[in-house]
Amino acid sequence: MKQSTLLAGVLAAFLASPPLAYGQKAAEQFIPLGQSPGLSGKQTLIGRIEAVDRLSGSITLAGETGKPGQVRVTPATHIWLDRSLLQLANVSGGMADLIPGQRAEIKFADANRREAEWVKVELTAP
Amino acid sequence: MNRQWDVNRRRFWLALGLIAALLTPWQGAAAVDVGHDLVARGRHLFFHETFAGNGRTCGTCHPAENNYTLDAAYIARLPATHPLFVAEFQPALKQGFESPRLMREFGLIRENLDGFDDLDNRFVMRSVPHVLAMTTSVHSPAGPRTGWSGDGAPGDGSLCAFAMGAVIQHFTRSLQRVPGVDFRLPTDAELDALEAFTLSLGRQQELALPLPLKGAQARRGQAIFLDNHLGKCNLCHSNAGANADFGAGNLGNLSFDTGVENLPETPARLSGERIPHDDGFGTPGNGQFNTPPLVEAADTPPFFHNNAAQTMEGAVGFYNSEAFNQSPAGRLLASLDAKGVGIHLDTGQVEAVAAFLRVINALENIRQGDALLRATFGNGSFAYAQNREDLAQAAKEIGDAGRVLSQAGLHPRAADLLRESARLAQWAGYLGIFGEPLAQRALAQLDAARAELIGGTTVVAGLEQGREP
Repeated sequence: MKQSTLLAGVLAAFLASPPLAYGQKAAEQFIPLGQSPGLSGKQTLIGRIEAVDRLSGSITLAGETGKPGQVRVTPATHIWLDRSLLQLANVSGGMADLIPGQRAEIKFADANRREAEWVKVELTAP
Repeated sequence: MNRQWDVNRRRFWLALGLIAALLTPWQGAAAVDVGHDLVARGRHLFFHETFAGNGRTCGTCHPAENNYTLDAAYIARLPATHPLFVAEFQPALKQGFESPRLMREFGLIRENLDGFDDLDNRFVMRSVPHVLAMTTSVHSPAGPRTGWSGDGAPGDGSLCAFAMGAVIQHFTRSLQRVPGVDFRLPTDAELDALEAFTLSLGRQQELALPLPLKGAQARRGQAIFLDNHLGKCNLCHSNAGANADFGAGNLGNLSFDTGVENLPETPARLSGERIPHDDGFGTPGNGQFNTPPLVEAADTPPFFHNNAAQTMEGAVGFYNSEAFNQSPAGRLLASLDAKGVGIHLDTGQVEAVAAFLRVINALENIRQGDALLRATFGNGSFAYAQNREDLAQAAKEIGDAGRVLSQAGLHPRAADLLRESARLAQWAGYLGIFGEPLAQRALAQLDAARAELIGGTTVVAGLEQGREP
Protein backbone atom coordinates (compact mmCIF):
# COMPACT_ATOMS: atom_id res chain seq x y z
CA MET A 1 0.00 0.00 0.00
CA LYS A 2 1.26 3.46 -0.85
CA GLN A 3 2.62 5.53 2.00
CA SER A 4 0.12 8.29 1.32
CA THR A 5 -2.69 5.78 1.53
CA LEU A 6 -1.34 4.45 4.76
CA LEU A 7 -1.01 7.89 6.28
CA ALA A 8 -4.46 8.84 5.17
CA GLY A 9 -5.75 5.60 6.57
CA VAL A 10 -4.18 6.14 9.94
CA LEU A 11 -5.53 9.67 9.96
CA ALA A 12 -8.92 8.35 9.01
CA ALA A 13 -8.79 5.88 11.82
CA PHE A 14 -8.31 8.63 14.32
CA LEU A 15 -10.96 10.79 12.71
CA ALA A 16 -13.38 7.91 12.51
CA SER A 17 -13.01 6.82 16.07
CA PRO A 18 -14.69 8.69 18.90
CA PRO A 19 -12.13 10.33 21.15
CA LEU A 20 -12.60 8.74 24.54
CA ALA A 21 -13.94 5.70 26.36
CA TYR A 22 -17.59 6.42 26.74
CA GLY A 23 -20.01 5.56 29.51
CA GLN A 24 -23.63 5.78 28.51
CA LYS A 25 -25.38 8.63 30.33
CA ALA A 26 -28.95 7.49 29.79
CA ALA A 27 -28.74 4.39 31.97
CA GLU A 28 -26.33 6.06 34.40
CA GLN A 29 -29.22 8.10 35.75
CA PHE A 30 -30.81 4.99 37.24
CA ILE A 31 -27.72 3.66 39.00
CA PRO A 32 -27.69 4.61 42.69
CA LEU A 33 -24.90 6.73 44.07
CA GLY A 34 -21.72 4.74 44.60
CA GLN A 35 -22.71 1.80 42.38
CA SER A 36 -21.59 2.90 38.93
CA PRO A 37 -19.60 -0.03 37.52
CA GLY A 38 -15.94 0.69 36.97
CA LEU A 39 -16.37 4.29 38.10
CA SER A 40 -17.58 4.52 41.69
CA GLY A 41 -14.74 4.54 44.14
CA LYS A 42 -12.23 4.53 41.28
CA GLN A 43 -12.88 7.47 39.02
CA THR A 44 -15.52 9.40 40.93
CA LEU A 45 -15.51 11.58 43.98
CA ILE A 46 -18.02 10.71 46.69
CA GLY A 47 -18.69 12.93 49.68
CA ARG A 48 -21.02 15.41 51.34
CA ILE A 49 -21.81 18.79 49.89
CA GLU A 50 -20.38 21.46 52.19
CA ALA A 51 -21.25 24.54 50.17
CA VAL A 52 -23.06 25.51 47.01
CA ASP A 53 -22.26 28.68 45.06
CA ARG A 54 -25.03 29.04 42.52
CA LEU A 55 -23.63 32.25 41.06
CA SER A 56 -20.28 30.79 40.09
CA GLY A 57 -21.71 27.33 39.49
CA SER A 58 -19.57 25.45 41.95
CA ILE A 59 -20.00 23.12 44.87
CA THR A 60 -17.61 22.14 47.62
CA LEU A 61 -17.42 18.53 48.63
CA ALA A 62 -15.96 16.91 51.74
CA GLY A 63 -14.72 13.63 50.37
CA GLU A 64 -15.33 10.07 51.43
CA THR A 65 -13.43 8.94 48.35
CA GLY A 66 -11.24 10.88 45.96
CA LYS A 67 -9.75 14.32 46.46
CA PRO A 68 -12.29 16.66 48.08
CA GLY A 69 -12.65 20.32 47.28
CA GLN A 70 -14.41 22.62 44.89
CA VAL A 71 -16.07 21.26 41.77
CA ARG A 72 -17.36 23.26 38.81
CA VAL A 73 -20.85 22.54 37.60
CA THR A 74 -21.36 23.68 34.00
CA PRO A 75 -24.47 23.86 31.83
CA ALA A 76 -23.32 20.55 30.28
CA THR A 77 -23.22 18.79 33.66
CA HIS A 78 -25.98 16.23 34.23
CA ILE A 79 -27.46 16.49 37.71
CA TRP A 80 -29.42 13.44 38.84
CA LEU A 81 -31.48 13.10 41.97
CA ASP A 82 -30.94 9.61 43.32
CA ARG A 83 -34.20 8.68 45.04
CA SER A 84 -33.56 4.93 45.14
CA LEU A 85 -33.48 4.91 48.96
CA LEU A 86 -37.04 6.25 48.80
CA GLN A 87 -37.91 3.56 46.23
CA LEU A 88 -38.75 6.28 43.75
CA ALA A 89 -37.46 6.81 40.23
CA ASN A 90 -34.27 8.79 39.81
CA VAL A 91 -34.90 12.03 37.96
CA SER A 92 -32.95 14.87 36.43
CA GLY A 93 -32.38 17.92 38.61
CA GLY A 94 -30.67 21.27 38.53
CA MET A 95 -28.30 23.43 40.53
CA ALA A 96 -31.19 24.43 42.78
CA ASP A 97 -31.51 20.81 43.93
CA LEU A 98 -27.98 20.75 45.36
CA ILE A 99 -28.12 21.44 49.08
CA PRO A 100 -25.35 21.37 51.71
CA GLY A 101 -25.39 18.17 53.73
CA GLN A 102 -26.47 15.98 50.86
CA ARG A 103 -24.36 13.00 49.91
CA ALA A 104 -23.13 13.35 46.34
CA GLU A 105 -21.04 11.56 43.74
CA ILE A 106 -19.19 13.39 40.99
CA LYS A 107 -17.69 12.15 37.75
CA PHE A 108 -15.32 14.63 36.20
CA ALA A 109 -15.43 15.62 32.56
CA ASP A 110 -12.07 17.25 33.11
CA ALA A 111 -10.32 16.24 36.31
CA ASN A 112 -7.64 18.94 36.00
CA ARG A 113 -10.17 21.73 35.72
CA ARG A 114 -12.43 19.88 38.18
CA GLU A 115 -15.43 20.18 35.88
CA ALA A 116 -18.20 17.75 36.58
CA GLU A 117 -19.60 15.54 33.80
CA TRP A 118 -22.34 14.38 36.12
CA VAL A 119 -23.42 14.81 39.71
CA LYS A 120 -25.64 12.40 41.62
CA VAL A 121 -27.18 13.55 44.86
CA GLU A 122 -28.81 11.13 47.25
CA LEU A 123 -32.23 12.12 48.50
CA THR A 124 -33.35 10.63 51.80
CA ALA A 125 -36.63 12.47 52.14
CA PRO A 126 -39.25 13.25 49.49
CA MET B 1 -41.26 -50.40 1.09
CA ASN B 2 -38.38 -48.01 1.60
CA ARG B 3 -40.65 -45.64 3.43
CA GLN B 4 -41.83 -48.39 5.78
CA TRP B 5 -38.21 -49.33 6.41
CA ASP B 6 -37.40 -45.71 7.20
CA VAL B 7 -40.28 -45.53 9.66
CA ASN B 8 -39.18 -48.75 11.34
CA ARG B 9 -35.62 -47.52 11.50
CA ARG B 10 -36.71 -44.28 13.11
CA ARG B 11 -38.84 -46.18 15.64
CA PHE B 12 -35.88 -48.41 16.46
CA TRP B 13 -33.57 -45.43 17.12
CA LEU B 14 -36.27 -43.65 19.07
CA ALA B 15 -36.82 -46.70 21.27
CA LEU B 16 -33.09 -47.11 21.75
CA GLY B 17 -32.83 -43.44 22.68
CA LEU B 18 -35.59 -43.74 25.24
CA ILE B 19 -33.98 -46.81 26.79
CA ALA B 20 -30.61 -45.06 26.89
CA ALA B 21 -32.15 -42.02 28.53
CA LEU B 22 -33.77 -44.19 31.19
CA LEU B 23 -30.56 -46.05 31.89
CA THR B 24 -28.35 -43.01 32.00
CA PRO B 25 -27.72 -41.25 35.33
CA TRP B 26 -29.52 -37.91 35.34
CA GLN B 27 -27.45 -34.86 36.05
CA GLY B 28 -29.82 -31.94 35.87
CA ALA B 29 -28.78 -28.31 35.61
CA ALA B 30 -29.60 -27.66 39.24
CA ALA B 31 -27.03 -30.22 40.31
CA VAL B 32 -24.20 -28.52 38.47
CA ASP B 33 -21.90 -26.60 40.77
CA VAL B 34 -21.23 -23.40 38.90
CA GLY B 35 -19.85 -21.43 41.83
CA HIS B 36 -16.16 -22.07 41.24
CA ASP B 37 -15.97 -21.45 37.54
CA LEU B 38 -16.40 -17.86 36.44
CA VAL B 39 -17.46 -18.73 32.90
CA ALA B 40 -19.91 -21.38 34.06
CA ARG B 41 -21.31 -18.98 36.60
CA GLY B 42 -21.61 -16.33 33.89
CA ARG B 43 -23.39 -18.82 31.63
CA HIS B 44 -25.86 -19.61 34.38
CA LEU B 45 -26.53 -15.91 34.98
CA PHE B 46 -26.79 -15.20 31.26
CA PHE B 47 -29.52 -17.75 30.66
CA HIS B 48 -31.33 -17.92 34.00
CA GLU B 49 -30.96 -14.72 36.02
CA THR B 50 -33.85 -12.28 35.68
CA PHE B 51 -32.46 -9.77 38.20
CA ALA B 52 -35.91 -9.63 39.81
CA GLY B 53 -37.23 -7.89 36.75
CA ASN B 54 -39.86 -8.58 34.12
CA GLY B 55 -38.73 -12.15 33.43
CA ARG B 56 -36.18 -11.49 30.74
CA THR B 57 -32.65 -12.82 30.92
CA CYS B 58 -29.66 -11.95 28.73
CA GLY B 59 -30.52 -15.10 26.80
CA THR B 60 -33.97 -13.77 25.97
CA CYS B 61 -32.51 -11.53 23.27
CA HIS B 62 -29.26 -13.48 22.84
CA PRO B 63 -30.47 -17.10 22.62
CA ALA B 64 -27.72 -19.69 22.15
CA GLU B 65 -29.98 -21.72 19.85
CA ASN B 66 -30.16 -18.77 17.45
CA ASN B 67 -26.48 -17.79 17.47
CA TYR B 68 -27.05 -15.27 20.27
CA THR B 69 -29.17 -12.98 18.14
CA LEU B 70 -32.79 -12.47 17.11
CA ASP B 71 -34.50 -12.51 13.75
CA ALA B 72 -38.13 -12.47 12.76
CA ALA B 73 -38.24 -16.18 11.89
CA TYR B 74 -36.92 -17.16 15.31
CA ILE B 75 -39.26 -14.74 17.04
CA ALA B 76 -42.24 -16.21 15.18
CA ARG B 77 -41.58 -19.59 16.79
CA LEU B 78 -41.71 -18.26 20.36
CA PRO B 79 -44.85 -18.67 22.50
CA ALA B 80 -46.97 -15.60 23.20
CA THR B 81 -45.96 -15.73 26.86
CA HIS B 82 -42.24 -15.56 26.11
CA PRO B 83 -40.58 -12.75 28.11
CA LEU B 84 -39.41 -11.13 24.88
CA PHE B 85 -43.04 -10.05 24.48
CA VAL B 86 -43.51 -8.50 27.94
CA ALA B 87 -44.72 -5.29 26.34
CA GLU B 88 -47.68 -7.21 24.95
CA PHE B 89 -48.93 -8.69 28.20
CA GLN B 90 -47.57 -6.65 31.12
CA PRO B 91 -49.73 -3.52 31.46
CA ALA B 92 -46.93 -1.40 32.98
CA LEU B 93 -44.81 -1.95 29.87
CA LYS B 94 -47.42 -1.56 27.14
CA GLN B 95 -46.51 2.00 26.20
CA GLY B 96 -42.99 3.26 25.66
CA PHE B 97 -41.06 0.04 26.30
CA GLU B 98 -40.99 -1.79 22.97
CA SER B 99 -42.52 -1.47 19.51
CA PRO B 100 -44.15 -4.91 19.25
CA ARG B 101 -44.75 -4.88 15.51
CA LEU B 102 -41.18 -3.82 14.76
CA MET B 103 -39.94 -6.52 17.10
CA ARG B 104 -42.04 -9.32 15.64
CA GLU B 105 -41.70 -8.46 11.98
CA PHE B 106 -38.14 -7.12 11.87
CA GLY B 107 -36.39 -8.27 15.05
CA LEU B 108 -35.87 -4.70 16.25
CA ILE B 109 -35.58 -3.73 19.92
CA ARG B 110 -36.27 -0.32 21.40
CA GLU B 111 -33.35 1.50 23.06
CA ASN B 112 -33.27 4.84 24.88
CA LEU B 113 -29.61 5.61 24.41
CA ASP B 114 -30.16 9.37 24.41
CA GLY B 115 -32.24 9.46 27.57
CA PHE B 116 -35.44 8.21 29.15
CA ASP B 117 -37.27 11.49 29.55
CA ASP B 118 -39.43 11.28 26.40
CA LEU B 119 -40.17 7.62 25.86
CA ASP B 120 -42.71 8.15 23.08
CA ASN B 121 -40.40 10.16 20.87
CA ARG B 122 -36.83 9.71 21.95
CA PHE B 123 -35.74 6.18 21.12
CA VAL B 124 -33.97 4.16 18.47
CA MET B 125 -34.82 0.77 17.01
CA ARG B 126 -31.85 -1.57 16.95
CA SER B 127 -31.19 -5.11 15.84
CA VAL B 128 -29.66 -7.52 18.36
CA PRO B 129 -25.96 -8.02 17.67
CA HIS B 130 -24.68 -11.53 18.32
CA VAL B 131 -22.11 -11.70 21.11
CA LEU B 132 -19.72 -14.13 19.44
CA ALA B 133 -15.97 -13.50 19.11
CA MET B 134 -16.11 -10.44 21.34
CA THR B 135 -12.61 -11.19 22.55
CA THR B 136 -11.50 -10.07 19.12
CA SER B 137 -13.86 -7.16 18.60
CA VAL B 138 -14.58 -5.15 21.74
CA HIS B 139 -11.32 -3.24 21.99
CA SER B 140 -10.58 0.07 20.33
CA PRO B 141 -7.81 2.62 20.79
CA ALA B 142 -10.37 4.90 22.43
CA GLY B 143 -11.59 2.28 24.90
CA PRO B 144 -14.11 -0.53 24.78
CA ARG B 145 -16.92 -0.43 22.25
CA THR B 146 -20.14 -2.16 23.28
CA GLY B 147 -23.47 -2.39 21.51
CA TRP B 148 -24.09 -1.26 17.95
CA SER B 149 -22.89 2.29 18.49
CA GLY B 150 -20.13 1.59 20.98
CA ASP B 151 -21.90 3.42 23.78
CA GLY B 152 -24.05 0.64 25.18
CA ALA B 153 -22.54 0.46 28.65
CA PRO B 154 -22.94 2.87 31.57
CA GLY B 155 -20.23 3.39 34.17
CA ASP B 156 -16.81 3.14 32.60
CA GLY B 157 -18.29 2.00 29.28
CA SER B 158 -16.68 -1.44 29.53
CA LEU B 159 -18.08 -4.80 28.52
CA CYS B 160 -18.14 -5.63 32.23
CA ALA B 161 -20.49 -2.70 32.88
CA PHE B 162 -22.70 -3.49 29.89
CA ALA B 163 -25.02 -5.87 31.73
CA MET B 164 -26.00 -3.16 34.21
CA GLY B 165 -27.25 -0.95 31.40
CA ALA B 166 -29.05 -3.89 29.82
CA VAL B 167 -30.89 -4.64 33.06
CA ILE B 168 -32.01 -1.01 33.35
CA GLN B 169 -33.11 -0.82 29.72
CA HIS B 170 -34.63 -4.24 29.09
CA PHE B 171 -35.37 -6.03 32.39
CA THR B 172 -37.49 -3.46 34.19
CA ARG B 173 -40.97 -4.20 35.54
CA SER B 174 -42.11 -0.62 35.01
CA LEU B 175 -41.00 2.48 33.17
CA GLN B 176 -40.07 4.11 36.47
CA ARG B 177 -36.98 1.91 36.49
CA VAL B 178 -36.46 2.02 40.25
CA PRO B 179 -33.54 -0.17 41.42
CA GLY B 180 -34.68 -2.55 44.13
CA VAL B 181 -38.29 -2.24 42.98
CA ASP B 182 -38.41 -2.82 39.23
CA PHE B 183 -35.20 -4.87 39.10
CA ARG B 184 -32.10 -5.44 41.12
CA LEU B 185 -28.77 -4.31 39.77
CA PRO B 186 -26.08 -6.93 39.13
CA THR B 187 -23.33 -7.18 41.72
CA ASP B 188 -19.70 -6.66 40.76
CA ALA B 189 -19.16 -10.42 40.97
CA GLU B 190 -22.09 -11.03 38.64
CA LEU B 191 -20.82 -8.45 36.18
CA ASP B 192 -17.40 -10.14 36.20
CA ALA B 193 -18.95 -13.54 35.56
CA LEU B 194 -21.17 -12.26 32.74
CA GLU B 195 -18.18 -10.61 31.12
CA ALA B 196 -16.13 -13.80 31.38
CA PHE B 197 -18.92 -15.86 29.82
CA THR B 198 -19.47 -13.38 27.02
CA LEU B 199 -15.78 -13.29 26.20
CA SER B 200 -15.69 -17.10 26.11
CA LEU B 201 -18.17 -17.30 23.26
CA GLY B 202 -17.09 -18.14 19.73
CA ARG B 203 -13.81 -17.39 18.06
CA GLN B 204 -10.96 -16.41 20.36
CA GLN B 205 -8.56 -15.25 17.69
CA GLU B 206 -8.51 -13.69 14.26
CA LEU B 207 -8.24 -15.68 11.06
CA ALA B 208 -5.08 -15.32 9.03
CA LEU B 209 -6.19 -14.65 5.47
CA PRO B 210 -5.84 -15.78 2.78
CA LEU B 211 -7.14 -19.30 3.35
CA PRO B 212 -6.56 -22.09 0.81
CA LEU B 213 -10.19 -22.24 -0.23
CA LYS B 214 -11.19 -24.84 -2.82
CA GLY B 215 -14.29 -23.23 -4.31
CA ALA B 216 -13.53 -20.90 -7.22
CA GLN B 217 -16.23 -18.40 -6.31
CA ALA B 218 -15.22 -18.17 -2.65
CA ARG B 219 -11.58 -17.96 -3.62
CA ARG B 220 -12.34 -15.09 -6.00
CA GLY B 221 -14.43 -13.45 -3.29
CA GLN B 222 -11.51 -13.70 -0.88
CA ALA B 223 -9.22 -12.05 -3.42
CA ILE B 224 -11.69 -9.19 -3.92
CA PHE B 225 -12.15 -8.88 -0.16
CA LEU B 226 -8.40 -8.54 0.36
CA ASP B 227 -7.82 -6.23 -2.61
CA ASN B 228 -7.43 -2.73 -1.17
CA HIS B 229 -8.11 -1.24 -4.61
CA LEU B 230 -11.24 -3.25 -5.44
CA GLY B 231 -13.27 -4.69 -2.59
CA LYS B 232 -11.44 -2.70 0.10
CA CYS B 233 -13.24 -4.81 2.69
CA ASN B 234 -10.09 -5.82 4.53
CA LEU B 235 -9.24 -2.24 5.46
CA CYS B 236 -11.99 -2.05 8.06
CA HIS B 237 -12.63 -5.80 8.46
CA SER B 238 -9.06 -7.01 8.73
CA ASN B 239 -8.99 -10.81 8.32
CA ALA B 240 -12.79 -10.66 8.07
CA GLY B 241 -12.95 -9.56 11.69
CA ALA B 242 -14.07 -6.33 13.32
CA ASN B 243 -10.77 -4.48 13.45
CA ALA B 244 -9.23 -2.04 11.02
CA ASP B 245 -5.81 -2.25 9.48
CA PHE B 246 -4.79 0.42 7.01
CA GLY B 247 -1.36 -1.03 6.58
CA ALA B 248 0.24 -0.04 9.85
CA GLY B 249 -1.09 -2.88 11.98
CA ASN B 250 -4.22 -3.57 13.97
CA LEU B 251 -6.07 -0.35 14.83
CA GLY B 252 -8.71 -2.13 16.89
CA ASN B 253 -12.44 -1.78 16.50
CA LEU B 254 -13.34 1.48 14.81
CA SER B 255 -16.67 3.19 14.28
CA PHE B 256 -17.82 4.66 10.98
CA ASP B 257 -20.75 6.50 9.49
CA THR B 258 -21.45 4.25 6.51
CA GLY B 259 -24.82 5.74 5.63
CA VAL B 260 -26.87 2.63 6.49
CA GLU B 261 -29.14 4.83 8.57
CA ASN B 262 -29.84 6.97 5.51
CA LEU B 263 -31.19 4.12 3.41
CA PRO B 264 -34.74 5.29 2.66
CA GLU B 265 -36.34 1.92 2.06
CA THR B 266 -35.26 -0.46 4.80
CA PRO B 267 -37.83 -3.19 5.52
CA ALA B 268 -38.77 -1.64 8.85
CA ARG B 269 -39.20 1.86 7.44
CA LEU B 270 -41.42 0.51 4.68
CA SER B 271 -43.77 -0.78 7.38
CA GLY B 272 -44.86 2.78 8.12
CA GLU B 273 -44.16 2.34 11.84
CA ARG B 274 -42.59 5.28 13.60
CA ILE B 275 -38.79 4.94 13.68
CA PRO B 276 -36.85 8.02 14.84
CA HIS B 277 -33.50 8.72 13.22
CA ASP B 278 -30.67 6.79 14.89
CA ASP B 279 -27.70 9.09 15.38
CA GLY B 280 -25.25 6.41 16.53
CA PHE B 281 -22.45 7.00 19.01
CA GLY B 282 -22.88 9.53 21.80
CA THR B 283 -25.46 12.14 22.73
CA PRO B 284 -26.01 13.91 20.42
CA GLY B 285 -24.76 11.18 18.15
CA ASN B 286 -22.08 11.46 15.50
CA GLY B 287 -23.71 9.00 13.10
CA GLN B 288 -21.12 6.31 13.70
CA PHE B 289 -21.65 2.63 14.37
CA ASN B 290 -19.22 -0.14 15.26
CA THR B 291 -17.60 -2.42 12.73
CA PRO B 292 -18.95 -5.94 13.37
CA PRO B 293 -16.94 -9.13 12.76
CA LEU B 294 -17.75 -10.82 9.44
CA VAL B 295 -16.71 -14.41 10.10
CA GLU B 296 -19.91 -14.93 12.07
CA ALA B 297 -22.10 -12.84 9.76
CA ALA B 298 -23.65 -15.34 7.34
CA ASP B 299 -25.57 -17.30 9.97
CA THR B 300 -26.62 -14.25 11.98
CA PRO B 301 -28.83 -12.28 9.58
CA PRO B 302 -30.35 -9.76 9.11
CA PHE B 303 -27.53 -7.26 8.84
CA PHE B 304 -26.58 -3.80 10.14
CA HIS B 305 -27.82 -1.96 13.23
CA ASN B 306 -31.30 -1.59 11.75
CA ASN B 307 -31.60 -4.98 10.05
CA ALA B 308 -31.56 -3.15 6.73
CA ALA B 309 -30.32 -6.13 4.70
CA GLN B 310 -31.86 -9.58 4.91
CA THR B 311 -29.21 -11.52 3.00
CA MET B 312 -25.44 -11.70 2.92
CA GLU B 313 -25.55 -10.71 -0.75
CA GLY B 314 -27.71 -7.69 0.08
CA ALA B 315 -25.34 -6.64 2.85
CA VAL B 316 -22.29 -6.80 0.56
CA GLY B 317 -24.27 -5.05 -2.18
CA PHE B 318 -24.98 -2.16 0.18
CA TYR B 319 -21.38 -1.02 -0.24
CA ASN B 320 -22.08 -0.35 -3.92
CA SER B 321 -24.94 1.97 -3.03
CA GLU B 322 -25.15 5.72 -3.18
CA ALA B 323 -25.97 5.68 0.53
CA PHE B 324 -22.55 4.18 1.25
CA ASN B 325 -20.52 5.97 -1.39
CA GLN B 326 -21.89 9.36 -0.34
CA SER B 327 -21.40 8.65 3.36
CA PRO B 328 -18.36 9.86 5.33
CA ALA B 329 -16.89 6.33 5.23
CA GLY B 330 -17.53 6.01 1.50
CA ARG B 331 -16.03 9.40 0.76
CA LEU B 332 -13.02 8.48 2.86
CA LEU B 333 -12.42 5.37 0.76
CA ALA B 334 -12.86 7.40 -2.42
CA SER B 335 -10.30 9.92 -1.20
CA LEU B 336 -7.77 7.09 -0.84
CA ASP B 337 -8.47 5.78 -4.35
CA ALA B 338 -6.42 6.94 -7.35
CA LYS B 339 -9.60 7.15 -9.42
CA GLY B 340 -11.69 8.63 -6.66
CA VAL B 341 -13.91 5.56 -6.46
CA GLY B 342 -15.34 4.38 -3.15
CA ILE B 343 -16.53 0.82 -3.74
CA HIS B 344 -17.87 -0.31 -7.08
CA LEU B 345 -18.32 -4.04 -7.62
CA ASP B 346 -20.30 -5.79 -10.32
CA THR B 347 -22.98 -8.33 -9.47
CA GLY B 348 -20.65 -11.30 -9.86
CA GLN B 349 -18.11 -9.70 -7.55
CA VAL B 350 -20.75 -9.02 -4.91
CA GLU B 351 -21.85 -12.66 -5.11
CA ALA B 352 -18.23 -13.80 -4.86
CA VAL B 353 -17.52 -11.76 -1.73
CA ALA B 354 -20.74 -13.06 -0.18
CA ALA B 355 -19.74 -16.62 -1.13
CA PHE B 356 -16.40 -16.11 0.60
CA LEU B 357 -18.14 -14.86 3.74
CA ARG B 358 -20.52 -17.81 3.67
CA VAL B 359 -17.66 -20.28 3.36
CA ILE B 360 -15.62 -18.81 6.23
CA ASN B 361 -18.76 -18.77 8.38
CA ALA B 362 -19.29 -22.46 7.54
CA LEU B 363 -15.65 -23.18 8.41
CA GLU B 364 -16.07 -21.46 11.76
CA ASN B 365 -19.22 -23.51 12.40
CA ILE B 366 -17.29 -26.64 11.48
CA ARG B 367 -14.48 -25.67 13.86
CA GLN B 368 -16.94 -25.24 16.69
CA GLY B 369 -18.83 -28.41 15.80
CA ASP B 370 -15.57 -30.31 15.73
CA ALA B 371 -14.54 -29.05 19.17
CA LEU B 372 -17.97 -29.79 20.65
CA LEU B 373 -18.06 -33.34 19.27
CA ARG B 374 -14.56 -34.10 20.48
CA ALA B 375 -15.39 -32.74 23.93
CA THR B 376 -17.96 -35.52 24.38
CA PHE B 377 -15.65 -38.42 23.63
CA GLY B 378 -14.70 -40.73 26.48
CA ASN B 379 -16.66 -38.83 29.09
CA GLY B 380 -18.74 -41.80 30.23
CA SER B 381 -22.10 -41.50 31.90
CA PHE B 382 -21.20 -38.87 34.48
CA ALA B 383 -21.06 -36.10 31.92
CA TYR B 384 -24.34 -37.09 30.33
CA ALA B 385 -26.04 -33.70 30.71
CA GLN B 386 -23.01 -31.81 29.42
CA ASN B 387 -22.56 -34.24 26.54
CA ARG B 388 -26.18 -33.91 25.54
CA GLU B 389 -25.89 -30.11 25.59
CA ASP B 390 -22.63 -30.18 23.62
CA LEU B 391 -24.01 -32.57 21.03
CA ALA B 392 -27.15 -30.48 20.55
CA GLN B 393 -25.00 -27.38 20.09
CA ALA B 394 -22.68 -29.28 17.73
CA ALA B 395 -25.69 -30.31 15.66
CA LYS B 396 -26.83 -26.70 15.61
CA GLU B 397 -23.43 -25.37 14.49
CA ILE B 398 -22.99 -28.04 11.84
CA GLY B 399 -26.53 -27.51 10.62
CA ASP B 400 -25.84 -23.79 10.29
CA ALA B 401 -22.73 -24.55 8.22
CA GLY B 402 -24.77 -26.58 5.77
CA ARG B 403 -27.48 -23.96 5.64
CA VAL B 404 -25.25 -20.96 4.88
CA LEU B 405 -23.75 -22.90 1.99
CA SER B 406 -26.94 -24.31 0.53
CA GLN B 407 -28.75 -20.95 0.76
CA ALA B 408 -26.43 -19.75 -1.99
CA GLY B 409 -25.97 -23.06 -3.80
CA LEU B 410 -22.36 -23.35 -2.67
CA HIS B 411 -20.51 -26.63 -2.24
CA PRO B 412 -23.54 -28.95 -2.54
CA ARG B 413 -21.52 -32.06 -1.64
CA ALA B 414 -20.23 -30.39 1.55
CA ALA B 415 -23.74 -29.21 2.40
CA ASP B 416 -25.01 -32.80 2.14
CA LEU B 417 -22.20 -34.07 4.36
CA LEU B 418 -22.93 -31.36 6.90
CA ARG B 419 -26.63 -32.19 6.99
CA GLU B 420 -25.78 -35.82 7.65
CA SER B 421 -23.20 -34.87 10.28
CA ALA B 422 -25.72 -32.65 12.06
CA ARG B 423 -28.29 -35.45 12.02
CA LEU B 424 -25.81 -37.90 13.50
CA ALA B 425 -24.76 -35.43 16.20
CA GLN B 426 -28.40 -34.87 17.10
CA TRP B 427 -29.03 -38.61 17.43
CA ALA B 428 -25.83 -39.07 19.40
CA GLY B 429 -27.27 -36.61 21.90
CA TYR B 430 -30.55 -38.52 22.12
CA LEU B 431 -28.74 -41.79 22.74
CA GLY B 432 -26.80 -40.60 25.77
CA ILE B 433 -24.07 -43.00 26.79
CA PHE B 434 -24.66 -45.11 23.66
CA GLY B 435 -24.21 -42.15 21.36
CA GLU B 436 -20.46 -41.96 20.99
CA PRO B 437 -20.23 -44.15 17.85
CA LEU B 438 -22.70 -41.83 16.17
CA ALA B 439 -20.73 -38.79 17.33
CA GLN B 440 -17.61 -40.37 15.82
CA ARG B 441 -19.43 -40.81 12.53
CA ALA B 442 -20.64 -37.22 12.72
CA LEU B 443 -17.03 -36.12 13.13
CA ALA B 444 -15.94 -38.16 10.11
CA GLN B 445 -18.64 -36.53 7.98
CA LEU B 446 -17.58 -33.15 9.31
CA ASP B 447 -13.96 -33.78 8.35
CA ALA B 448 -15.08 -34.78 4.86
CA ALA B 449 -17.18 -31.62 4.53
CA ARG B 450 -14.29 -29.45 5.63
CA ALA B 451 -12.03 -31.12 3.09
CA GLU B 452 -14.50 -30.04 0.40
CA LEU B 453 -14.10 -26.41 1.43
CA ILE B 454 -10.48 -25.91 2.29
CA GLY B 455 -7.13 -27.46 1.46
CA GLY B 456 -3.78 -27.31 3.12
CA THR B 457 -3.14 -28.79 6.51
CA THR B 458 -5.86 -30.48 8.52
CA VAL B 459 -7.71 -27.77 10.35
CA VAL B 460 -8.54 -28.94 13.82
CA ALA B 461 -7.67 -26.36 16.42
CA GLY B 462 -8.42 -23.32 14.34
CA LEU B 463 -8.82 -21.99 10.84
CA GLU B 464 -5.50 -20.21 11.11
CA GLN B 465 -3.79 -23.57 10.65
CA GLY B 466 -5.18 -23.76 7.19
CA ARG B 467 -3.35 -20.70 5.97
CA GLU B 468 -1.86 -20.82 2.51
CA PRO B 469 1.87 -21.55 2.45
